[in-house]
Amino acid sequence: MTALLAIEGLQTFFATPAGEIRAVDGIDLEVAAGECLGVVGESGSGKSMAFLSVMGLVRRPGRVVAGRILLQGEDILGLAPAARRGLRGRVIAMTMQDALTALNPALTVGEQVAETLEAHAADLPTGRAARRRAVRARVVEILGLVGLPDAGRRLGDYPHQFSGGMRQRIMIACALVCRPRILVADEPTTALDVTVQAQILDLIGDMRRELGMAVVLISHDLGVVAERCERVAVFYAGQVVETGAVRDILDRPAHPYTRGLLRSIPRLDDPGRRIEPIPGQLTPADARPGRCRFLSRCALAAPPCRADIALADLGRGHRVRCVRLRP
Amino acid sequence: MSPIKLLERLIQLGFVLFGISLIVFLMMEATPGDPVEIMLGDSLASAEQKELLRRDMGLDRPLVARYLHFVGNALGGEFGQSFFHRRPVADLILERLPATIELTLVAMVVAVAVAIPLGIIAAVHRGGLLDRLASVGAMLGVSMPGFWFGILLIMLFAVRLHLLPVAGRIGYSHEVPAVTGLLLVDSLIALQPASFLAALGHLVLPAVTLGLAMAAILMRVTRTAMLEVLSQDYMTFAEAKGLSRRRILVRHGLKNALIPTVTVAAIETGSLLGGNMIVETIFAWPGLGRLVVEAIFARNYPVVQACVLFYAVTYVLLNFVADVLYTVLNPKVRL
Repeated sequence: MTALLAIEGLQTFFATPAGEIRAVDGIDLEVAAGECLGVVGESGSGKSMAFLSVMGLVRRPGRVVAGRILLQGEDILGLAPAARRGLRGRVIAMTMQDALTALNPALTVGEQVAETLEAHAADLPTGRAARRRAVRARVVEILGLVGLPDAGRRLGDYPHQFSGGMRQRIMIACALVCRPRILVADEPTTALDVTVQAQILDLIGDMRRELGMAVVLISHDLGVVAERCERVAVFYAGQVVETGAVRDILDRPAHPYTRGLLRSIPRLDDPGRRIEPIPGQLTPADARPGRCRFLSRCALAAPPCRADIALADLGRGHRVRCVRLRP
Repeated sequence: MSPIKLLERLIQLGFVLFGISLIVFLMMEATPGDPVEIMLGDSLASAEQKELLRRDMGLDRPLVARYLHFVGNALGGEFGQSFFHRRPVADLILERLPATIELTLVAMVVAVAVAIPLGIIAAVHRGGLLDRLASVGAMLGVSMPGFWFGILLIMLFAVRLHLLPVAGRIGYSHEVPAVTGLLLVDSLIALQPASFLAALGHLVLPAVTLGLAMAAILMRVTRTAMLEVLSQDYMTFAEAKGLSRRRILVRHGLKNALIPTVTVAAIETGSLLGGNMIVETIFAWPGLGRLVVEAIFARNYPVVQACVLFYAVTYVLLNFVADVLYTVLNPKVRL
């Protein structure tokens, strides 16, 4: 079976006066129809940039320099800009971290949800009035579906008239109104109050089942991903360092970075355990080729780590980019 | 904007206007030169005759009385007699006003029509050739004095190329029946295309001279606002929805970028009135600006007072309009 989305050898570089920054450096990932893939990594690990590359939203001086992105079997990197645009919002949709800034303050929420539909919908009636009625009906329907109370009467309101959680729902409605096959949710809970986070994650899960779509859940929180996803990919310095089924990764983490991440999560069921942070921090210099990217922070660093490390298969789709550790 | 807030704003406006009237009145009082002496010049008028004229013009009464008289009359649209024309000042102003309004409006339209598209293009192609040219042009535009730029234009287009007229609103051969007082409109109403073109030809140089600085400032404001908007998340999100580039720029970009631009445009239109004095003098434009300049040189107090008051009130009102427009465009702001 071909994957709904397959990323092969993707590289996205930024040309800066200080030299080339390898934001995404050789990513291979697959997303099957209907599944939920968690993408975990810290700021600057390239997880958002990888999926902005998939969306075709990388801004200068960034550029996709190599790789293939197969969406429903077709390499979309070779498509003309107009064809690429036709996929965005229709086949593959994305939500941003903060709905407050992602929604336009000067447009009503009704307009903002409707425009995704108007940009793509070929199945709308042709008459002007009939078209407007149809758009309105679909907008109200999706806003109701994402749990906006009284949607029909609030189409004319502006984003600032809603609470943070409601804005997040509206943004999700903007992304889902065309019923895409795959939703990239970039840090959907980071900007929210803790009490609302679970609601939004529940909503994304509900919509996934309702619309039968795949979800890529980008988060820096391994806990969130572990709870909501079937598979997970751990990003570090522009590469996937470990990927596999959530169960396998949690039970038998094979990369020192993944282990560090797990040890740094506070746990309610084990209050006596100390939280161990990973020493040091991720810098752009870590994205140099010719060595393990985690080298500068790794307790197990050794001479063999000073070479490009390939992903090794541990079976059942569990793969790791480390030569020192095996579970 | 709620009616109560609007009312508050209007009351504030009243205080500002009161202050303006006081300043205008005192400024003219403090200006050196006795209007009676200037008016009579070196004539052989006796001291009694001068005293008579002074009383006739009300200049012998105390300051406060004269101020109250001034305000009372001004509220009734009565600004006294011009010392020289021996006609009501209000009549003089109304006679000159249409020419100034026409010039100002055209200058504003020219400035907006040039500046906003240029500002957007400069922002979208930031650092490109057009952006750099526009930046240099804007720098020249704000720093070049109107009297110099106007004369350069006259030298090139009128003296050397004989393309455009140098002075006045329209040739003497044209007779346009006055309806609005704006020649462009009146000539169209009268179905006189030749007169329309003549009026338009006369407008080009003064309007470009007058609008240059405003265009330069507006261009910079539009560019800055657009750059700010382009970096916003909602622009990326709009792109993620699969909207066309044009729609993203116009609907998502311009709508937000116009908020500061429109505000500045309304305020700058007020400054155009100040620029009018210079431009109208250079181009012998029979408008309010030239009336003021002439009146200042002649110590024609009533005319100067009335005109300065008029300018100030217009300026304040335009600021008020800018505030209102700001709230209309920006749903987040409620005054």
